Amino acid sequence: LLFFIFNKAQPPPLLCPSVRGTALSGRPPAGLHTSAALEVNKNWERRNLQLYPPQLPGEPRRAAEVHHCRRQIKYSKDKMWYLAKMIRGLSIDQAITQLEFNDKKGAKIVKEVLLEAQDMAVKNHNVEYKSNLYIAESHSGKGKYLKRIRYHGRGMFGIMDKVYCHYFVKLVEGPPPAAEPRTGLDQAQEYLLGLRSRTVRHSL
Amino acid sequence: MAVPLRRTLIALHRATCNNLKSADGWVDVRQPHPLVVPVRGKKRHFIPPAVGIKEKTKADPEARARAAGLVFRQQYVERSINISCTAGIFDPYIPPEGDARLSTLSREGLKQRTEQLRQSAASQLAIRKIKEHDPLFNTKTFPELAQDIFIQAHMALTQFNKEKLHSLVTERCYPEMTRGNRLKTIRWSFVESLEPPRVVHARCPDMVTKTNLYGQVTLRMHSRQILALYDRFGRLLLGSEDEPKDVLEYLVMERHVVNPYGRWRLHGKIVPAWAPPKDPITKTVLIPGPKLKPGEDFDALQFEVPKPQSVQWSK
Repeated sequence: LLFFIFNKAQPPPLLCPSVRGTALSGRPPAGLHTSAALEVNKNWERRNLQLYPPQLPGEPRRAAEVHHCRRQIKYSKDKMWYLAKMIRGLSIDQAITQLEFNDKKGAKIVKEVLLEAQDMAVKNHNVEYKSNLYIAESHSGKGKYLKRIRYHGRGMFGIMDKVYCHYFVKLVEGPPPAAEPRTGLDQAQEYLLGLRSRTVRHSL
Repeated sequence: MAVPLRRTLIALHRATCNNLKSADGWVDVRQPHPLVVPVRGKKRHFIPPAVGIKEKTKADPEARARAAGLVFRQQYVERSINISCTAGIFDPYIPPEGDARLSTLSREGLKQRTEQLRQSAASQLAIRKIKEHDPLFNTKTFPELAQDIFIQAHMALTQFNKEKLHSLVTERCYPEMTRGNRLKTIRWSFVESLEPPRVVHARCPDMVTKTNLYGQVTLRMHSRQILALYDRFGRLLLGSEDEPKDVLEYLVMERHVVNPYGRWRLHGKIVPAWAPPKDPITKTVLIPGPKLKPGEDFDALQFEVPKPQSVQWSK
């Protein structure tokens, strides 16, 4: 930010053109926003605006998908993650039932978000049956935190966070895909593969 | 932070003035000398709200201003109106059923005939009035022009060319054409004209003042068109792309005739009462039914789905 300060007496413009030039360029710009912009990332909601090209007659019917979220929930993102993980891959009716019998604070919020998303799907996104949906993606994110001072003894202080979180969900039309059965051997193989595909830096 | 900054500035100011004074001798002329003092502020992306700001902002701002000695001036509730087109279809044309082929000997036929005569007399007067303002208007050449506007407007709608659509369609018609279509794909084409379009009706309504005239001309158009509507995911909602359909339409064109730069634009459509019902959409929807009390049976209630009356409407 630049402040231009002039003396009280304004100069006659003809006498000192160089001064006039700087004065004009340094005038505080009118109509310019000087406050901080509220930068809210709306990418998740914007996914609902994607337009797919018409399908050809032989193609399998493309499943409808609805993205929905709620932002700045007064809850911890880490606590919310457990709920998000719990309903991942369930059908919508089952997810709502599960959340109804959960005593956490976030369960009520997530259930509301799911019901909103279901309503949106039927009203705006041409979904025929409202129960024919499953939760394809469900996760939580960190919101905008408020910082507050926490006073300690002996003139010390700490900074505490007032935490907020976002909750994101994507519903897809159709029955939930069956989970692949995984044996211990699969898990072991995956573990080995992970170890072998490591990149050891500065090695031979 | 303010105090030290000011202190520095005053010091600088004094220094510059002293220099000038010494140069000019003791003449009290203060030459201006701009000073550039860059001040780097902290970049804040998010300013947290202060504690308890919610309660403070909740109070009535007008009452607070009044307490501080400021009086709000009178607030006017103003609503903008658009005078480049009318808000509806004035005295809409009543399309005769079966193209007025009922015999004049029958009761309905006679009624239809008299109605037609009355309407056509008023139409002649309106056409004369339109011609006064628009010398190029001619009922012989107008239908082709109107059909061209109709085709252009619908092509602009399929490509969602807003600017072009606004030049071809009145402000009243625009939302009716575009509402709900932003995230859909429309495939529309005009195949052929089955009968030459003709002017069947004309009216010259005025708005606000007597001299502010609009020309409204109704057109009968019988043509073959193709329409297919896809939803956001590219799934067929309605129609088909390779099946042309015969369409009988009554279009209403409008022009602000007193405006020398006015143009004929699409204003609406008249759907007669005897029009066959539309094709049903390929979707299951829930029809709200009666609320059942405990112990009641739905079948015993004999609930009938309400059906709309067949009346003439316009869009």
